[in-house]
Amino acid sequence: MTNSFFAKYGAIFRISFKQAWNNKANLSGLLFFLFILLFIYNRLWVVIGIQDNVSGYNAIYIWYLLLAEMIILSSPRMERILFNDIREGNMAYYINKPISFFLMRYTEGLGNMTVSFLIMGGFGTLVTLGLTGQPPFAWHHFPIIILMCYISSAINLLFYTGVGLCSLWLDSIRSLGMVVERLAFIFGGAIFPLSIYPQWFVNIAKWTPFYSIYYLTIKLVYDFSWYNLFEAVLLNTLWVSAIVGFVIFTYRKLIKKVDIYGG
Amino acid sequence: MTEIINVDKLTKKFKIKKASHGFRGIFHPEYKSVTAVNEISFNIKKGERIAFIGPNGAGKSTTIKMLSSILHPTSGHAEVMGLVPWENRQKLAYHIGTVFGQRSQLWYNLPVQDSFALFGKMYGIEEVKFKRRLSHLVKLFEIRDLMTQTTRSLSLGQRMRCEIVASLIHNPQVLFLDEPTIGLDVTAKEIIRNLVKKQALEEETTLLLTSHDTDDMEKVCDRVIIINKGRLIFDDSLVRLKASYLKKKYVEITTDAGEKIRKEINTAQTSAQKAIDELVKQYHVTDMTIENPPMDEIIKEIYKRD
Repeated sequence: MTNSFFAKYGAIFRISFKQAWNNKANLSGLLFFLFILLFIYNRLWVVIGIQDNVSGYNAIYIWYLLLAEMIILSSPRMERILFNDIREGNMAYYINKPISFFLMRYTEGLGNMTVSFLIMGGFGTLVTLGLTGQPPFAWHHFPIIILMCYISSAINLLFYTGVGLCSLWLDSIRSLGMVVERLAFIFGGAIFPLSIYPQWFVNIAKWTPFYSIYYLTIKLVYDFSWYNLFEAVLLNTLWVSAIVGFVIFTYRKLIKKVDIYGG
Repeated sequence: MTEIINVDKLTKKFKIKKASHGFRGIFHPEYKSVTAVNEISFNIKKGERIAFIGPNGAGKSTTIKMLSSILHPTSGHAEVMGLVPWENRQKLAYHIGTVFGQRSQLWYNLPVQDSFALFGKMYGIEEVKFKRRLSHLVKLFEIRDLMTQTTRSLSLGQRMRCEIVASLIHNPQVLFLDEPTIGLDVTAKEIIRNLVKKQALEEETTLLLTSHDTDDMEKVCDRVIIINKGRLIFDDSLVRLKASYLKKKYVEITTDAGEKIRKEINTAQTSAQKAIDELVKQYHVTDMTIENPPMDEIIKEIYKRD
């Protein structure tokens, strides 16, 4: 990797970051949605806690929910962006530039994602602290948890970019995107931690990428240990390798097709 | 002058899926082959300004896409600056610039200066050289006032000027312009034509411009290549084309009674001045337009003579 590689993609990251930062309406909508979600689920867990005569449910689950939403909501809809690029032929007009189209789109997504992640992280932390009081983690672990969540968001983005590349074979990406999203919600424990599901269900979830991208990473917020951290890093690394393999395979096929059909 | 583009029997066929009914079509789709470009050959010298003219669907854009490394041909050979475009995409990218009239390469929500800066990084231009180059292009294309505006706030004509600047930032030796004046009003078209020509003359940029508007070729180019149905049907200087095929002009006047009168002038027999004078004497003219014959008519004429 040369300096020009970092200068090129660094510039794309910055420009996309700036573009997302300037989109105040989108960011306001995101924060409003996050606030409503945290408020409603906090009430839900408080009521369940009162019924079960247990205090602190809400602190664990609302922090869990916040991090899950930061990973899910911060990613732009990469599958739809790529579908448009591929199906409308925009992609052809970038392949004669000294840049990799795939890396360009991924870096753009990363810039966009970083803005949403930071904004949601800052705002969400304040709201969650206000709603739940004392957090369920030690503050010195917080930077590691946030860094892990950021990495998971980047993997999540890569995953949906891979889904977008399937546009090569599909006439519509919406249905596939929705199915994958629902699966991610269920097997990744995006709303409720997988620990509340039956073991047979967790055993199935373990075979999906969502288990490590979402659950293992977010779990650190209430169950931080170096072992859990290592497990999350290791499994995420394995899944990244698999996703990258799929992306390279599909992207090569795509480029071949663009070579023939162009825009 | 050295040759910068060589095209030899370049052919492009597309395989298109036929519409089918029932399950058979899903599992055993039928295809038909459509020839977009059919064995065209030509050479272009450094600094030439070529108009690549033809009606819609003639194969102009497909040819440009092959020469600018977007498309792979079905057969034939081409070299741009000694490089086979589809085999040397990244290398060639530093030597060519492309503008596609119907697609934007600028970032929609950002000031155009940010897009230019990104192109500077993309092509690995040193900061000092980039600033110098940009300042020259900004002056040449008169876009100083547009630099801080977002792309989405620009008019089509303003956007096109910025698109051309973006494609020239890395100082390419060959510039491919695919329908740069499409959708523009008369004034904006005129501005783009003048600026493109000025830049090409100043920097000796080789220009390949596609259009179905004959005015584009008259105002910008010195050589014309006409293709129709994928085949090259004319390749000569603009002077020769004018002398042989562009003898007709159409004058349309609107009288004070609101009546529209269209008259054909053969400039080989009557001067345009004389014909217009006669019309002005005959009618009270409130509006007037002068047009070249449409592309289809020129092509028909070329076929007739062949």
